[in-house]
Amino acid sequence: MSTREADTAYEVGYSIPEWVMESVSAERMRTMAAILRDPNPLHWDREAVDRLPLALGKRTINQGPLGLSYIINMLHDWMGPECIQRLVMTFPQVVLDGERVIAKGRITKLQGGNSQRLAECDIWLEHAERGVLLKGQATVRINEDGYQ
Amino acid sequence: MHAIPAEEATKALVGHEFPGGSYKIAHWENFLLTGCTGAEPLPNGLAHPVALFHVPIMGAGTSIAEMFELGQAESQLSIIPESYDWEIFQSLKEEVEYDISGAVVAAERRTNAQGQTYDWVQFCFDVRSPEGTLSARSTITWQYTRNML
Repeated sequence: MSTREADTAYEVGYSIPEWVMESVSAERMRTMAAILRDPNPLHWDREAVDRLPLALGKRTINQGPLGLSYIINMLHDWMGPECIQRLVMTFPQVVLDGERVIAKGRITKLQGGNSQRLAECDIWLEHAERGVLLKGQATVRINEDGYQ
Repeated sequence: MHAIPAEEATKALVGHEFPGGSYKIAHWENFLLTGCTGAEPLPNGLAHPVALFHVPIMGAGTSIAEMFELGQAESQLSIIPESYDWEIFQSLKEEVEYDISGAVVAAERRTNAQGQTYDWVQFCFDVRSPEGTLSARSTITWQYTRNML
């Protein structure tokens, strides 16, 4: 891809190719809890979640970093495994086991010269019915040829 | 109802430093961690960036449980993550011994839009390579809810 073509492709407003987690896994939450030494039962005890005054039912709640990791995977698939300079993430809604969620992003600003361009991106994790679950910003190094 | 800690106790958390220490991301750990994210292992021994949550915490000589206790969490269920800010200056790699330091950099009592009280606490961790270069910084902001959940 020529630089001129790349400039056309990666412009403000460009939508990053989506990354889909078909079904958030309770088993993966348990493994994650063990690695993180995370004592919070919301990630592995359905009864504890059911007792919360949040009407979530007997589900488990995904760890915040795990939801964020789906967005990281999207950025890696787009620009390679060393493309991320910064991630700032907030957690407006919980992610529950069994849910299908989609990582999405959009370029909001481009900066830098020919040697290295950086893209500022809005990033978010979306559920078809519940809307945006996580949202934030990323700074990503642009590989003009994309990531093969 | 839980007793709410004195506001001064929350403010006094600012400046608290964790012991500090080091952390090496083992291959097996990175493999399992990456699998949890739904991705394939990254090439060239790269650690999945999701490690930037637990590696700084554990490497600094603390734990999620201890951070809960530090802010006098009502229970392990009462913490709401507000934001995670991860700055990556050099990609983290497996089997590299990183030096890690961490501290509480902000803490204050706040009230949300519903008039509910919570304590807002921000932790900052620096991850340095064996050569002393700052490789990554993780800033964690949690809300310690008070009689909310």
